[in-house]
Amino acid sequence: MKAADSKTDIDVVEGEGEEVQLLMGNRAVVQGLLEAKVGLTTAYPGTPSTEIQMQLYKLHQKGQLYFEFSVNEKVAFEIAGAAALSGVRSAVIMKHVGLNVASDSLMALAYFGVIGGMVVVVVDDPGCLSSQNEQDSRFWGKFSHLPILEPSTSQEIKDTIVQAYELSEKYNTIILVRLTSFTSLNTAEVKMKVVEEKLAKDGDFFKDIRYALPARYVLHKGLHAILEQIKEDEDFLGNNELKYGDSISDRLIITQGAIYPMVEYMRNLNNLDIPILKINAIHPLNEKQIGEFLKKYKYIYFVEELESYLESEILSIIGKYNLNLKVFGKEQLAIPEENRILPDVLSEAFKRIATDPNNEEIFKVKPPVPSPYAHVFGRVDQLIPRTIPRLCDGCCHRGAFYSIKRATKKTDIIPSDIGCYALGQVFPVDIGDFWLCMGASIGTAIGFSLTNDKPVVAVIGDGTFFHAGIPPLIDAVLYNHNITVAILNNSLTAMTGGQPTPSSDEKKAKNQRQLDIEQVVRGLGVEYVKSVRVEDTKENTKIFREAMAHEGPSVVIFNGECVVELYRHSLDLGEAPYVDEELCNMCGTCFIEFSCPSIIKKDGQIVIREDTCTACNICVGVCPQTAIIPRKKKKV
Amino acid sequence: MSGNENKPINIAIVGLGGQGVITLAKLIANTNFMLGKKVCYNEQHGLSQRGGSVQSSIRINEADNPLFAAKDTDFIIGLEKLETLRYLYLAKEAKPKVLVSNRYDIRTTSDLGLEMFPESDDIDKEILKYSSATYIFDALGFEASVKSKLKPVNVAVFSVLTTFPELGLPTGKAEDYVMEYLGRNILLKQINKKAFKEGPKWMKKVE
Ligand SMILES: Cc1ncc(C[n+]2csc(CCOP(=O)(O)OP(=O)(O)O)c2C)c(N)n1
Ligand code: SF4
Repeated sequence: MKAADSKTDIDVVEGEGEEVQLLMGNRAVVQGLLEAKVGLTTAYPGTPSTEIQMQLYKLHQKGQLYFEFSVNEKVAFEIAGAAALSGVRSAVIMKHVGLNVASDSLMALAYFGVIGGMVVVVVDDPGCLSSQNEQDSRFWGKFSHLPILEPSTSQEIKDTIVQAYELSEKYNTIILVRLTSFTSLNTAEVKMKVVEEKLAKDGDFFKDIRYALPARYVLHKGLHAILEQIKEDEDFLGNNELKYGDSISDRLIITQGAIYPMVEYMRNLNNLDIPILKINAIHPLNEKQIGEFLKKYKYIYFVEELESYLESEILSIIGKYNLNLKVFGKEQLAIPEENRILPDVLSEAFKRIATDPNNEEIFKVKPPVPSPYAHVFGRVDQLIPRTIPRLCDGCCHRGAFYSIKRATKKTDIIPSDIGCYALGQVFPVDIGDFWLCMGASIGTAIGFSLTNDKPVVAVIGDGTFFHAGIPPLIDAVLYNHNITVAILNNSLTAMTGGQPTPSSDEKKAKNQRQLDIEQVVRGLGVEYVKSVRVEDTKENTKIFREAMAHEGPSVVIFNGECVVELYRHSLDLGEAPYVDEELCNMCGTCFIEFSCPSIIKKDGQIVIREDTCTACNICVGVCPQTAIIPRKKKKV
Repeated sequence: MSGNENKPINIAIVGLGGQGVITLAKLIANTNFMLGKKVCYNEQHGLSQRGGSVQSSIRINEADNPLFAAKDTDFIIGLEKLETLRYLYLAKEAKPKVLVSNRYDIRTTSDLGLEMFPESDDIDKEILKYSSATYIFDALGFEASVKSKLKPVNVAVFSVLTTFPELGLPTGKAEDYVMEYLGRNILLKQINKKAFKEGPKWMKKVE
């Protein structure tokens, strides 16, 4: 046995160059990419795909392969696409909503296909634990005409990635591999090959008339032909499996790769002797094979997470082949079409599967579905207070919010954006009236300002600004829209775990230049631009008022540091400031308006918690009585 | 161990972001893995911010599915009281063992009058009601006894867990693994070694 790097789990050496490790699904993706010898990888940060990206980032810094955090998913996709057209194996990693951003390029590149294998790894977040919405990425297959594979376990994830490259090159098509927060964040054993060699990204692009073709429907036709071939491919179809196939039951459960382990567990928990058809090759389905196969059964149960995708696809096959089957889908089994699936959510469904399928009545009843968040709001015998997500103690955004709040009125319209600063909405900080998706704060601010006779302020982070905030700001300049934009710059994408952004300095992002947001904004033609430090709350309030009074677009850049990032460099950030009891008149400004969780009321006094305070000292400037006295702060 | 050796053991660990919930899960899982057992676990943490609700579930003697139904729960480890109460719904039917820290983090929302927080004693009563055995880890005492800024409560709790034979964590192996996994520098090694040695001292069973 030997230890891997500190963050990895322990390895057990198996045969020559082979070992077994405990790997998280996300790490299994990286292992698959290494075994498939993928030379070029790109990504845009997004939970729950983060660990794939961070590991690739590390491997890039070690020089094993090329990886970059591209400026957004569309760019990431295009870079990987061109690499694959040059014959280099490439991968692009993103969360579900990232694929919306990349989709314009995805839909078009699908027509050309690829030469070197190309895999898009997309990780869905059922239940929106860390996303603005939930989507079922299985639909992308039909929409873009690309094959989709959906592995169940860490081992399958690794093997699927390796196989996906073979299929991609055999059929010259991009392959989508779909994970969910269940498969990507589960850790289990993986048998793997050790890959230590440096993976090359040297390719050769051959010009082809196809790429300039005007009447592309011809290529569209070709794409249909590829799907027809791939759905007959033994290797591809081998991803689907009949489990417990020796059962003689006339009933069958059909489920998808992503939740199979849980479905199997529920089957066994309920002692059901029913086989399970596990479908990992989500798209395309082989109608003929499925039609023939279903002839053996009388009763079919669909157990799926999110949309009734397989249910509706297979229902149409059942119709086409005129099969005399009784089908139990989401409605009959009371499985919700939203939120994630957990064992307790499935218990009602399995109660129903365990009953007599001919007892019609039971399947018509609509029981209340247990919420997977029952524990958040739930009861044992009393109401449990929520753990409301909030900005960390010492977060730089709190300083920016304080100044913005002082400079604005309650009636002003403040669209915000996606990032840690979205937590500004949480009372009592209360900054932000509207959230859509990355970059939308500025575009919607323009729309609100055109239609409302009120001041409009957009709040956006540095990461989000670079991702999708620049085009709408150009629009604001172009038509002199009267909005003020607050760019909250902590020089990283904090929300997703601290990946670099274009404004990160060298310490954070090696091999990358640092862009100066102020210069970028001036370059776009914005006339009122100020760049400030978050600590100067009083001065910043004045500046922000001035920016709002400016006719046309104005930008204030608030600069500060993410505490979680500071803690990565040092556990000791300095000593907490203290409240001078003589000077404090209990006005509540620090406690309520500034609202840092480290500032608490204790025995009728305002006190700063030494165990949680991070010595950011922003509160020092907030106190109107100057009663908060700083102590030693460390430079990290 | 008896003939039941291969029955899965289902553990839920709950706490707040920054308390080391996931690290504790890794320690338990990897020690079992090193001993040649099947094991899997998951992580459930929404966002990056500190102080959010974090949960992990681990199943020993199970290869691929770390999630289990409430009625299958064998063990709940709570690094914070309110989070333990939140996940106590797992215990209602199953009556598992519960190991709970005496740290109770009353959030600012309480002071602002936004939420009513239960009395600490009431949480204890609730836990007693739904567990087959309750163990209290004196995290506050342990933390006060540690001189450094780093307070490895999770390592101390891990060492407490070696005293439960059903979790299959022989002391020696478990300690080796802590040293191997967490010991990046000498100072950390010393702190963790001490935490591991003294952990069990801070635990007591509620009779
Ligand atoms: C299209 C899309 N890609 C990725 C994400 C994941 N994501 C959530 S917030 C965020 C960026 C946060 O960075 P920044 O704007 O700098 O704010 P911070 O969290 O640092 O305050 C990202 C990438 C997303 N929500 N949507
Ligand atoms: S993770 Fe960083 S940016 Fe996000 S709330 Fe915490 S300190 Fe602020």
